[in-house]
Amino acid sequence: MTKSTNPRRNAASLATFLFVFAATAGVFVPPAQSQQTDRAKQIGGKFMCMCGCNQVLTQCNHVGCTVSASMLKELDQSVARGDSEQSITQAFVLEFGTTVYAEPPKSGLSLVAWLMPSVYLLLGTLLVIFVIFRWRQRNISLASSGAGAAGSTAGVSPELLARARAQSAEDSQD
Amino acid sequence: MDVFGSFALLLAFLCAAYAFVGGIAAILTRHPLLIKSARQAGFATCALIFLATGSLVYLFFSDNFSVAYVVSHSNRDLATFYKIAALWSGQEGSLLFWSFLLSVYVFSVLLAYRNKNGELMPYVGVVMAGVQIFFLSLNNFVASPFKVLGAPAANGAFDLVTRADGNGLNPLLQYPEMVIHPPNLYSGYTGFTIPFAFALAALLARYPGEKWIHLTRKWTMIAWCFQSVGILLGAHWAYAVLGWGGYWGWDPVENASLLPWLTGTAFLHSVMMQEKRGMMKVWNVWLVFITFMLCILGTMLTRSGVVSSVHAFAQSSIGTWFVGFLAVIFLVCFAAYVHNRDYLKSENQLDSVISRESSFLFNNLVLLVACIAVLSGTLFPVFSEWLSGSRISVGSPFFNKVNIPLGLLLLFLTGVGPLLAWRKTSLDSLKRNFGLPAITGLLAGAVALVLGVGEFYAIVCLILCVFVTVTIGMEFYRGAKVIRARSGASLVGSAIDLTMRNTRRYGGYVVHMGMVFIFVGLTGAAFNRDTQKDMQLGSSLQIGPYTLVLQSFDQKPEQNYTAERMIVEVLKNNKQIMMLYPERRIFQTNEPSGTMVAISSSWREDLYVVYAGQNPETQAPVIHAYLNPLVKWIWFGGAIVVFGTLVALLPNRRAVLVLSGAQQPATSPPLTHALHPSVTFREGHD
Repeated sequence: MTKSTNPRRNAASLATFLFVFAATAGVFVPPAQSQQTDRAKQIGGKFMCMCGCNQVLTQCNHVGCTVSASMLKELDQSVARGDSEQSITQAFVLEFGTTVYAEPPKSGLSLVAWLMPSVYLLLGTLLVIFVIFRWRQRNISLASSGAGAAGSTAGVSPELLARARAQSAEDSQD
Repeated sequence: MDVFGSFALLLAFLCAAYAFVGGIAAILTRHPLLIKSARQAGFATCALIFLATGSLVYLFFSDNFSVAYVVSHSNRDLATFYKIAALWSGQEGSLLFWSFLLSVYVFSVLLAYRNKNGELMPYVGVVMAGVQIFFLSLNNFVASPFKVLGAPAANGAFDLVTRADGNGLNPLLQYPEMVIHPPNLYSGYTGFTIPFAFALAALLARYPGEKWIHLTRKWTMIAWCFQSVGILLGAHWAYAVLGWGGYWGWDPVENASLLPWLTGTAFLHSVMMQEKRGMMKVWNVWLVFITFMLCILGTMLTRSGVVSSVHAFAQSSIGTWFVGFLAVIFLVCFAAYVHNRDYLKSENQLDSVISRESSFLFNNLVLLVACIAVLSGTLFPVFSEWLSGSRISVGSPFFNKVNIPLGLLLLFLTGVGPLLAWRKTSLDSLKRNFGLPAITGLLAGAVALVLGVGEFYAIVCLILCVFVTVTIGMEFYRGAKVIRARSGASLVGSAIDLTMRNTRRYGGYVVHMGMVFIFVGLTGAAFNRDTQKDMQLGSSLQIGPYTLVLQSFDQKPEQNYTAERMIVEVLKNNKQIMMLYPERRIFQTNEPSGTMVAISSSWREDLYVVYAGQNPETQAPVIHAYLNPLVKWIWFGGAIVVFGTLVALLPNRRAVLVLSGAQQPATSPPLTHALHPSVTFREGHD
């Protein structure tokens, strides 16, 4: 790779990108007014609709879905009464069971669901780092024992290189 | 015609069985006639499946309501266009369609390599026939689409019954995208059978070198492309038809389609390490195995009722068959691996921690973790029920929280990968390459902050999108500059020339650019707004800068349904800018109704208006309006991904010249063992 040396071009591309993203970034400005049902929406977003559609309660829009309508009504009433989120959640779990959770609670067995991805990532990262270092160590020991020298292209004839390239090109056409 | 179809399927099963058993015998005896007859049986299997599928399509077109499957999924008034879609709208037909698409692949492979790779192809034929046998068993003995309707007769036998009309097609499926979405997705699922067959065959045959990778690369990319298109079309269908304002709900069936896509993507990256450096052989073979197993798992999840989903077929016992098949696949793969694992020894080791190889390792790690996280989240309700007795749902909030950081990490690696060299990257090179992309990305983030963006993930995504864009731009610019200096062509012409010289590398960058656009679109979801209101004629609803005024509300009977329609005037700054027509369709033969969302789409945002039915108490029509920023970028990005994949599938211009100018003597010994493995000869495989 060569270094891009034209500062004017770099500045021009920078300006272009900033312009494009400034133009689209306007949409990121959050709404100025919050809606009345924000709290109900926020709490409702943590429950599933129990009609079997597998959608979050506030997103279930099956025309004529009596389940989501009644659940939303119950939620609105609880919110209007000023019930806490915890008590609303308890009431919904009592009524519908644990399947009403849109996301598993962060306790008990459900905690496993939350922890698993982080554990996978952590273990995987450790594994990759281990593999990288193991490979690297092996390579260093091979090089120090002289075996690495055989890996150079010095011992390969031009004819052999040409044939390898031709075979490579042929392979890439399959 | 139903008898013809049944008979064709049964014959196909017998031919597949012969291709399988005869193929094994051919491998053991090396008898040329046996090899040929097994291959011919493979062709015959495919041809018979084509005939069976054709006969089911004919039954739909001829409104043959003596066949149970036709009765369940069609009616006389169903538009011709949707009679084709009816083929895969139910359990039985979709399984036949699976067999059909698999046959298209198998037929193509058998035809393309009929005179090539004589050592490998009998093994490939056996594996493909094995997969066909499983699906043909389902087609014949478990879920036949040719079952006829019958009623008990006085003599104890059954009389054939013909219904006057059918039940019709599920309204949700009566949408143009539904005619092309399942074929694409199924083509992805079935397509991964080919790399699986080659990988397993190469392992069983101990086929030397990386030839199997070169042979399957094209097929893997085709399957991956279909899977990508299928997923995106499904997302667009959900967006335009389901009417909940979103395009991805982390439904189990949606997740099932994503799983093989993630591992397939990992394979397409890690396979380059094997091609370039002879590394990751075990990993690649298992990635292909896992991808295929995830395809089968996805097919099972959709059909078994193990997890609940609006997209799933009816609950059935078919899942047991799939579990058995998955177990067989795993055992065969594991046994083949254990028996031949010495064949998969790496030829090279890692030279440096900071290298392209390392970035691919981390790319694979993130993709695999995302895959496992989605899989475990999808199956967690089942596991929780087994372990604790109570089923705990895992919905979109969980998947979003888990996968957004992983997605961003992947986006970061998309930018980092091209900046790192194979084998070793020096610190100077790192500084030089990272400088401009990193500064530009951070500046874009700063601009977003100044403009008032408060969402953390949105800012990070913006920074990374700019970072990756500049990285890719630099790659094209640097290469094109060199060509321009030599040829004197324009920069754009040089960039095209550059791409055509190494289609795989630069096609890959185009795919990455498409992914950046998709990420831009996904970022918009953090700023979605919606509101719902009971409307009266002339009343208005405000969302963002738009005012929606209900102008009319009526019912109109159509050929196959009755439409409840709204005419909504859209004003912006008190000026009329458009009319929108959201509607609900009540079909004559099915109880559920379909939503037709009215969407006004721009690069900035989508105004998404749903007629949400009538308020049961006041009978007032209800509008649910959404303002979804940047959604169009997702579809645009998808198109770029497809374009990039097609570019990557093209042969290299330079490679063609080399090939035509390098006539090698037929007696040349294979190079595999002649060269030291650490010498890198591959060109055009970045």
